[in-house]
Amino acid sequence: MRASGSERGPAGLTRWARHDVGLYVAAAGASVVGALLVWSATARTDGTAYLVRHLVAAVVGVALALLVSRAGQHRIRLLAPWVYAGSLLALLAVLTPLGVTVNGSRSWIPLFAGFTVQPAEVAKVGLCLALATLLAGRVDRGLAPGGRELLTSALLVALPTTLVVLQPDLGSAAVVLALGAVVVAVAGAPRRWLLAATVLAMATVVVLLTTPVLSDYQRDRLTSFTDPSADPQGSGYQTRQVRLAIGAGGMWGQGFMEGQRTQGGLVPYQLNDFVFSVAGEELGFVGAAGLLVLLGFVVLRVLVVASRSVDAFGRLVGVGVATWLAVQVVQNVGMNLGLLPVTGLPLPFVSYGGSSMVVSWVAVGLVDAAHVEATRR
Amino acid sequence: MRFLTMATLFVLSIFAAQLVRIQGFDAHAVAEEAQLKREAAQVIPAMRGTVLASDGTVLASSVVREVVVVDQQAVCTFGTGLHECDPTRSAEAVRQAATLLAPLLNTTAAELVPQLTGTSRYRILSRDVTPLTWNTIEKLDIPGIYRDRRETRSQRTYPQGTTTAALVGYVLANGEPGGGVELMMQEQLRGAPGRETFELGRDGTVIPVGESTVEPAVDGRDITLTVNSNLQWYAQNALAQRIKETKAASGTVVVMDAKTGDLLSVASYPTFDPNTDVGKKGAKLGNVAFTDVFEPGSTSKVMTIAAALEEGTVTPSTPVIIPNRLPRYDKSFKDSHEHPTLYRTVAGTLAESSNIGTVLVSETMPPKTLETYFRKFGLGSRSGTGYPGESRGLLARSEDWSGTTKATVAFGQGLSVTAIQAASVFQTIANNGVRVAPRLVDSVADADGTVTTMPESPSTRVVSQRTANDVSRMLEGVVSPEGTAEEAQISGYRVAGKTGTADYYDAEAGRYSGRTASFIGYAPADDPQIVVAVIVQKPTYPFFGGYVAGPVFKDVTTYALQELKIPPTGAKPPRVTLRVSPEKALADPTLLRDGRKRAGG
Repeated sequence: MRASGSERGPAGLTRWARHDVGLYVAAAGASVVGALLVWSATARTDGTAYLVRHLVAAVVGVALALLVSRAGQHRIRLLAPWVYAGSLLALLAVLTPLGVTVNGSRSWIPLFAGFTVQPAEVAKVGLCLALATLLAGRVDRGLAPGGRELLTSALLVALPTTLVVLQPDLGSAAVVLALGAVVVAVAGAPRRWLLAATVLAMATVVVLLTTPVLSDYQRDRLTSFTDPSADPQGSGYQTRQVRLAIGAGGMWGQGFMEGQRTQGGLVPYQLNDFVFSVAGEELGFVGAAGLLVLLGFVVLRVLVVASRSVDAFGRLVGVGVATWLAVQVVQNVGMNLGLLPVTGLPLPFVSYGGSSMVVSWVAVGLVDAAHVEATRR
Repeated sequence: MRFLTMATLFVLSIFAAQLVRIQGFDAHAVAEEAQLKREAAQVIPAMRGTVLASDGTVLASSVVREVVVVDQQAVCTFGTGLHECDPTRSAEAVRQAATLLAPLLNTTAAELVPQLTGTSRYRILSRDVTPLTWNTIEKLDIPGIYRDRRETRSQRTYPQGTTTAALVGYVLANGEPGGGVELMMQEQLRGAPGRETFELGRDGTVIPVGESTVEPAVDGRDITLTVNSNLQWYAQNALAQRIKETKAASGTVVVMDAKTGDLLSVASYPTFDPNTDVGKKGAKLGNVAFTDVFEPGSTSKVMTIAAALEEGTVTPSTPVIIPNRLPRYDKSFKDSHEHPTLYRTVAGTLAESSNIGTVLVSETMPPKTLETYFRKFGLGSRSGTGYPGESRGLLARSEDWSGTTKATVAFGQGLSVTAIQAASVFQTIANNGVRVAPRLVDSVADADGTVTTMPESPSTRVVSQRTANDVSRMLEGVVSPEGTAEEAQISGYRVAGKTGTADYYDAEAGRYSGRTASFIGYAPADDPQIVVAVIVQKPTYPFFGGYVAGPVFKDVTTYALQELKIPPTGAKPPRVTLRVSPEKALADPTLLRDGRKRAGG
């Protein structure tokens, strides 16, 4: 991506060349595909309303990404604690009457003109930045994180995780948890700490499944994945419909705007949680696999940028973003394919949902900032 | 870092494999199941065939009726160009819609406005809208006014009402035939409903890109009966009037083509109005002519005499000495009135309808022979029209006849027949001894206009032409001034017939109760064209066949001869010797008398 010294283009072009164009193109590609899929999923009932909102969110996201990237690593580092603190405040606010409950989860804060913000999405950025800021110093000095850093890390992870679980939004909680664990591990945490964290995580899962912490709604969604035909009209319905839709796609799909299940609106939440099924039905194996490759490229590209990062902050942020995006892709596509239980996680860049779209792009901006930093030096 | 990369690649490849599995290997089964779950079907009703009289008069036909419904939340936007109700303009919009709709729905705007106002999304405005009217309504383009295709139905109407009801039958509210020709010809009339399939989205609307099929309905075939609607109308009225005059319970008039067996009229009383009476309590929905059995009485003497003539055991002029009483087994038989010992010919026996004389004639044959003739005349078996609920009558095997039954069957007691069977006996005599099975359906027309004429009824020779003609001349004697039914005479025509008066066995009460009065005959006697059977059950006194049924026979036959444009033949009736002097009778070696078998064979 580096401009060659002998052939200097216009100054603007050189400036742009420092950015990770490949990452932007892949993420933008995913956003465009997402826009088309969301449009197809909603065109019959709502015309272009969702398409427009999706595109607006994407444009806002790209703008923010560029802004973040232009701000540079240094300023990002300075802002990191504030972002984290702000996201915690938002997570607290959502539990107050400011929040709105949808489908049993109190996850949204309404803003204006029908726009809402999902604090859990912001928390992912906040945690990513906070952990990187905390751990980068020692890593840069070639030291493994000490007991104090590890305890602080645990606290930084535990706070948003707890708040997200209280909503309750298990999917996001899993993302936050995974993000934190991987960042800490990459920062060089001792094996015994990692083991302890793993055991703790597993214990949590057991507690969640055996105590009334989970609502009936969540329990239903978790169990219906194991046997979708148990209650075909109830909670197993969507799992089943999704599978039927994807199966009906075949090799080349039924054609854009021509998927019978999609156009019939038979798959619930087909514009967000199950947008992958639209790809499966209308674009077939070629389209769905292509979308997977595109998203896989984004994740891998983020990892590449992280590995080439000149400092620990950029590396840790990159690893955090990669983990976050990867977990969401895996979880979302996994539930679409019937391999994982249904949790309401959006497919980054693709699913309809302003918060997810914007923060995904902000993540791209953060990674790009590291890329710019690396090329500058 | 490398680990993360590998993990990502690994998971992605698992997903790819799962995609291949779902979309590649399971796709077919999955798609098929998907199809089943989405597909909705709509039945396109088939039009039931029309039932016509031979002259083309419609006896039963079907009309399509559309059900028009309203979405009250949409009507209020009529003319406003809005998508939702504007409270300030709703009333005016509804009033305008009502004004346009009212004349089409046969109501007034004032009555319609409340039905169009409210929040109901579905309300039936009318179930009785013709497709033509619906087209007009549709063109008004009033939002919220729909036709509910699921409710579209074909409604059966019977323009002739009570006149042909008992014959044509009826269709139940669920579209299934309830009786009569409707049931008999169900397979032809009903047609095959079509089927339209389409795919429904979750919100219940049709998926535009979904698969759809249309299998058009095949309308039912039109049935043309052999029945003449004018004759049917006349016969039905004449019967109903006479039944009222004589305060009888029920009755039937069967008019049959003497040569083809075609049923020209099957009047039945009591009747009903198939447009309104079906489903009403106590409605009599059957057809007396096919389903009601009765002891034929004197009319079956015709068969006995014909059998004896055919067997050669008597001739029309064979003298018979008829005592006032005839003891047989534990019973002593008598005639309808007391009389001194009479000296009559066989012809006279029939003309004066003597029970005793007929028993003496029947005793010239073994019972088995008599039974065989009865069966050849059509007794004990169904006519072959296939009419639903038709009775085969009752005719025991001769081996099972008791001593008295052997005597009574000769004059029509101890067996029972339907009016159709009784008419068929006279048709056989009228048609020179050849029985032609009754025929009710003349032709069937496909929707494409192909007309299939039903085959002619099978015919069988029962007695020789000579025997038939001999009996026919005797039956003319019945209608002569010396016979029992002078009132059946029709001026200008030669008429043959036979009165009948028998005890009526009331199956519901389980005992004899009242009488059966009948007159069955045909005209013109010298070239028979039509057979007319009039049966009246349980008339009040005087209950004699000649008195009760004779006038109906005369009226219906007179009308039928005119309607069918049958000219008088102009021939003089032959003289038939009915009486013999005692001396001449006693001198005749073939004389029939009680206690003495005829000499020779």
